[in-house]
Amino acid sequence: MALRPVEFHILLALAAEERHGYALLQEVASLTDGELQLEPGTLYRALHRMLKDGWVAESARRPAADQDDERRRYYRLTPAGRRVASAEAERLWRLVSIARAHRLLSRA
Amino acid sequence: MSTRGAKADRRFAWWLVWLYPPAFRRDVGLGLVDALDDRMRARRANGVSAFGVRLPAVADTLRNAPIEWLAAIPEFSPVESGFSRTRGGRTVIDTLMQDVRYALRLWRRRPMFAFVAILTLALGIGANTAMFSIVNTVLLRPLPYPHAERLVNVWGRTPAFPRGLLSYLEYDEIRKSGVVEVMGLFFPQSVNLTGVDEPQRLIGTFASGSFFDVLGLKPERGRFFTDEESAPGTVKPLVVITHQTWQRRFNGDPAAIGATMTLNGVPLTVIGVIAPTFDPDSVPTDSYFLGADVFIPAAQFPAPRGLPAAGPVMLGVARLKAGTTVARATSDLDVIRRRLEAAGAAPTATASASFVGQAGRTLEAEPVLEAAIGTSRPALLLLLASVGVVLLIACVNVSQLLLARAVDREKEIALRAALGASRGAVVRQLILEAGLLAIAGSAAGIVLGRWALMGLEWLKPASVSIPANRPLDVRMLLFTGGVALLTATICGLAPALRTARPDLGRVLRAGTRRETGTGRRTRDALMVVEMALSMALVAVSVLLIQSLMAVQRVPLGFDSSSVFTLQFRLPQSKYPKPEDIAHFFKSAIDNVRAIPGVESAALVRAVPFSGNGGTVGYAVEGRPAPDPAAAPQARFHLVTPDYFKTLKIPLLKGRDFTDRDDLQTPLVSVINESFARQAWPGEDPIGKRFTTPQTHGPVTVIGVVGDTKHYTATEPAVAQLYAAHYQVPLIFSSLVARTRGPEMAITAQVRKAIGAVDKDQPVWAVRSLESQVEATQGSTRFLAALLGIFAAVALLLAGVGIYGVTSYGVAQQTHEIGIRLALGASGDRVLRDVVGRGARLTVIAVVIGLVGAVAMGRLASALLFGVTPIDPTALAGAAVVLGAVSLAACYIPARRASRVDPVVALGQE
Repeated sequence: MALRPVEFHILLALAAEERHGYALLQEVASLTDGELQLEPGTLYRALHRMLKDGWVAESARRPAADQDDERRRYYRLTPAGRRVASAEAERLWRLVSIARAHRLLSRA
Repeated sequence: MSTRGAKADRRFAWWLVWLYPPAFRRDVGLGLVDALDDRMRARRANGVSAFGVRLPAVADTLRNAPIEWLAAIPEFSPVESGFSRTRGGRTVIDTLMQDVRYALRLWRRRPMFAFVAILTLALGIGANTAMFSIVNTVLLRPLPYPHAERLVNVWGRTPAFPRGLLSYLEYDEIRKSGVVEVMGLFFPQSVNLTGVDEPQRLIGTFASGSFFDVLGLKPERGRFFTDEESAPGTVKPLVVITHQTWQRRFNGDPAAIGATMTLNGVPLTVIGVIAPTFDPDSVPTDSYFLGADVFIPAAQFPAPRGLPAAGPVMLGVARLKAGTTVARATSDLDVIRRRLEAAGAAPTATASASFVGQAGRTLEAEPVLEAAIGTSRPALLLLLASVGVVLLIACVNVSQLLLARAVDREKEIALRAALGASRGAVVRQLILEAGLLAIAGSAAGIVLGRWALMGLEWLKPASVSIPANRPLDVRMLLFTGGVALLTATICGLAPALRTARPDLGRVLRAGTRRETGTGRRTRDALMVVEMALSMALVAVSVLLIQSLMAVQRVPLGFDSSSVFTLQFRLPQSKYPKPEDIAHFFKSAIDNVRAIPGVESAALVRAVPFSGNGGTVGYAVEGRPAPDPAAAPQARFHLVTPDYFKTLKIPLLKGRDFTDRDDLQTPLVSVINESFARQAWPGEDPIGKRFTTPQTHGPVTVIGVVGDTKHYTATEPAVAQLYAAHYQVPLIFSSLVARTRGPEMAITAQVRKAIGAVDKDQPVWAVRSLESQVEATQGSTRFLAALLGIFAAVALLLAGVGIYGVTSYGVAQQTHEIGIRLALGASGDRVLRDVVGRGARLTVIAVVIGLVGAVAMGRLASALLFGVTPIDPTALAGAAVVLGAVSLAACYIPARRASRVDPVVALGQE
């Protein structure tokens, strides 16, 4: 089953490192060249779902003291979340391969 | 960025997050506050305004929080049931919320039930509220003046003119007598505004100073003129303007006071602005009293010799003393009239030379409210009755739905009771469910009502003066919502009433899904009621449509296509002599005839279907003069040569007017067939003579033309006489021109042609004759369209109701049908039985509906033409339509019943 785009983007944004909510919004925006501008409510509804599903978790670790903002909550990818994300990536890859075979993609 | 702004943003974020469900807040609330805060901070740093910073946050919350709430409604679980009795540690609100959640869960399980019930209520409530908002504005509070209920028109009534004019002397006498609280005199008439870039026509009202007091008006700036300043003989060049005129002409500049406006060629000084004490939209269509732009002292009324003291030329309006009845006022007025007559000051005595036909004159008071709304009352009442019927049907439908469900719920409720729910808890839950239905229905009704008002605004023809831009009426919303709530509650409680002493054993035993005979009879009766009501509505709409078609078929007596018309009024001061007016007429017509594309052109004082016109009494020469009160009457028209040719009115005998029929030659007249028949039955009228008060000296008949309709297509044929406009040149006239091409294409050239005669002469009512004829039917067509919509809604609702009841009945009987099929009955037989039952109910409904249709038809009879309320076609048509809808609604569930698999049906229990 396909993942919701919002969820996939959040998983991607968390793949590199743990982030707090607002940093996630910015990362999603920059990963999509500004095309996907999530609003906080949408982000947190997705986060809430994925927390309940065990794909992401609140992080206990904090970044270096000089960058830390005490009140922030950081989120990280769980192993289950990583599996979901890579399954989705695989699925998309297969679709892209099919598209390429039918010459729907100009780029190699 | 200020710290204070940042702190406020954070607090704002907290408020927003508080709108999410508790579980959500507990899990990620803090993070969301941060993110919202961060986002607002970033926007603020980019220099976005406080509003621009917060709006996206609000929009985000409004989009996402409701979804979380919906997701938070827990799935059905017995522990959390709405009937749970344990209240330990929970607040009333908790219990209430739990009941609400329970009800919402039920809706989710039966979405079609909830959808149909809410939509039904919404249609009834929306239509009612929208229509009442309009009716309320037009009918119930149409006059935005203090003590409007005490305002009366004072008429000088003669046998020929029940609503005649008053003289200044009469006014003065009434005012001094103290019979009424305040008395005013006025007369609306267009005035020409010159001394501006383009001459314009304004609507003026010539008024006595007391007129402002009668209506309770206050000056916003400056002052009003006084009674002394408006008395005959005093010529004070003053003018009072309305707030709108002040805004439009002077841009609200205070310097307007003291400015000069040249009206009818006389420079007048602006002395005051009327405060806008009312909503101009709520003034009824014919703009009673205040539909004017400027108010001028009555003394300057443009009669040839100024305002006469004894001649009746003005309208009277008065405010009765508190506690006086109209009848009392009328009898008091009669005393005054007799006193005036005795003193020789009544129009009957003094002005007999110029104002004949005043014999039998009485003074009469008529409530203004009555006069202002009289004509639209039948239509509005009919509409109100129709929406009332729709609301009734909606309520019946919801009752049906709820009663049908009640049987299903009986078992569930008995189970709850068995598990320990108190009777009170059960009732509370049921009332709450009904209340939620009513609230949801009302909310949807508000939306539908707003759309309905917008739709009306779009649908209504320009000639219809229903103020559709009204806000929804809150009281009506409360009323209809209340009716819905009551219906829903009573019917919703049915299962609780039935389980007053629940026979748990009986109810819970699996085989008790069949309902009792009473329940079924109740629902059958309700079904008959809604069918009968919708049939009545359908019949009335058919009647109106028939009536419209009948009106369309009436021959008008003239050809309205390709005729251009406009109106103008020459200023008396500039055209003091009849010769001047006649000269203007001739030059204007010559100029218009020279326009390429104009086939023929003429002047007429009152264009057919323009609403203008007049009537005179006449006396045939050589016969004893009739009693003036009983003198035969004829419509009086003033036309120039070629009028009949222009409108293609057939000349049956004799000749048309020519340019030689002018001020120097003996008076001549063309009459219509009805006049000829009325005055000279069986004789040749050509060469015969008669006299009228409008034309001094005897008038010779030179021709006979066909009858024409003048005000409406539905009026009966009456005697009409045409006098030569050049022999009776009056300052107000209209141009008619028949064109070869599109009639409105010559507009600019006509304006230029008239401007060439007098550059200061404004013209108005520039339109095609066709559109004027059409406009008189616009309101009937609009009414028919509205009723048609209501009838369709009623039919739809009734259809849904019949379908629901029949489906439910079939479902109830599945077991029985299964047995019959198992015992060898054919599917067709079952189908016939089910449809037959519906058909029997339909027949009963048609009979009752016939009575209702005739009753509603009588309500509409004032609006009907060419059909009677008991028109068999309309009634039969309505019966057929209802029968078709009802049979279709029965057929679908009946077919389902005929295809019941006996094995499955019997296995159900």
